[in-house]
Amino acid sequence: MIRFFINIKKYYKYALYQAKAELKAEVANSYLNWIWWILDPLFFMIIYSFVVQVVFGNSQKYFPVFVFTALTCWDFFNRMISGSVKLVVNNRTVVTKVYIPKYILLLSKSFTYLFKYFISFVLLLILMLFFKVPFTWSMLWAIPITFVLYVVSFGIASILMHFGVYVDDLANVTNIVLRFLFYLSGIFYDIKSRLESKKFCGLNLSYVLLRYNPIANIIYEMRVTLLDGGTPSIKWLVAWFIMGIILTIIGVNTIHEYENSYAKVI
Amino acid sequence: MILKKKYLNKKDNKIAITIKNLTITYKTIKKFSIKKNLLRFKKSKLDTFTAIDDVSYDVEAGKIIGIIGKNGSGKSTLLRAIAGIFSPDSGIIDLHDNTVSLLSIGVGFQRKLTGIENIYLNGLLLGFTESEIKEKMNDIIEFADIGDFIYKPVQTYSSGMYSKLAFAITSILETDIILIDEVLSVGDAEFQKKSYDRMKELITAEHRTVLIVSHNASTIKELCDEVIWLHDGKIKEIGEPGAVMDNYLKFMGRK
Repeated sequence: MIRFFINIKKYYKYALYQAKAELKAEVANSYLNWIWWILDPLFFMIIYSFVVQVVFGNSQKYFPVFVFTALTCWDFFNRMISGSVKLVVNNRTVVTKVYIPKYILLLSKSFTYLFKYFISFVLLLILMLFFKVPFTWSMLWAIPITFVLYVVSFGIASILMHFGVYVDDLANVTNIVLRFLFYLSGIFYDIKSRLESKKFCGLNLSYVLLRYNPIANIIYEMRVTLLDGGTPSIKWLVAWFIMGIILTIIGVNTIHEYENSYAKVI
Repeated sequence: MILKKKYLNKKDNKIAITIKNLTITYKTIKKFSIKKNLLRFKKSKLDTFTAIDDVSYDVEAGKIIGIIGKNGSGKSTLLRAIAGIFSPDSGIIDLHDNTVSLLSIGVGFQRKLTGIENIYLNGLLLGFTESEIKEKMNDIIEFADIGDFIYKPVQTYSSGMYSKLAFAITSILETDIILIDEVLSVGDAEFQKKSYDRMKELITAEHRTVLIVSHNASTIKELCDEVIWLHDGKIKEIGEPGAVMDNYLKFMGRK
């Protein structure tokens, strides 16, 4: 792990510059430029709001904000996971020509996703103003929650990045799992109130879905702090933070061990 | 091996690269897909191919070493291993804390980014600071001589421009060890001459070590102090460029 931090220190400038250049290239190559970063989450919010409120007749309070909070978190997680699988292969030109610790690629990618996350978050705050959601001090909890989200995503992504090099169709598998997770994570419904009384194999379904799924847990806590002005469950946040650290350690160690043969495979 | 010793005794120079019992193998079927494995329960057999077979060699600092050999004899693999792109299966490569850069066709450029951005990224990867790169930016742009294309995404470049920019970066941002894989023959005639002259300039710099892979006999004879002839992953001959090159050409012609 010490090597991990030395490398981060050595290469973070590269990661940062790479992220900046990538965002710039993304802007330069599309017609509506950076407006896509805003339009994209905004339109998805409108679609879900329509489907859930009009078609299913759900009357969740502040529903658009409720959905947008979840989408902000989900998009980051989703991008990290699906982006990591093909990361090494996509960077073939760099990987086969110069030595670079491979998680630096992930770090750099995560910076671009983090940037989009923050744009989405600013948009979220504007939406909250628009729908007159009361601002409270407990909104500051969003910062540590974001941190947990980042660590967990990074941990999972680093492991997937490694296997993505060797397993050709891992992307197909992760796509299915991500789709599954999307519907299970309560992005357009409230797991707690919807599944409160449901039992599954003797377990409380809402509790299992909400707590044992990191992304559902994070979305739930984010809503508690932003929409209800409540305090998140610190126990679960810490638990997932530690879990994220463990996953990161596993991922980084695996990458350290195998990264030098990546160039031979791709 | 006897030849190697002779050369070592001749001069008591500082060693820039130590290669000891280096072996590198490729496993040809290493990737697998879940689909294939589900449909076919038989375990896919791994074919291993030994690209570099027990090679030992010391490169003295400040020398220009040519590497020759037929296609698939392990030349590029050797350079990549020295550049640290992949680790040896067994044996040691010690660069003695020298910085190293590999120059080969289709260098590590990000196709969507502009030439300028790629210069920065490459420089940062080679271990230079932002201000150092900024300082040398003009020299690189001037040497690459690709006009306004430097501000355009690399994917719009012609293959010649690609190599010109790559060579400009590596030769201006000087690392202690430069590995050159078959690039001196790209670019137009003017640029070839320029890069050739630049190579010579680099040679005169005392502590710069250069390894060149080339099929061009005159390049090798003129530039190199010493030539390694690789054959099927093994060193077949080491020595004076003229003599080794002649043997090599005879060997290739005989076949």
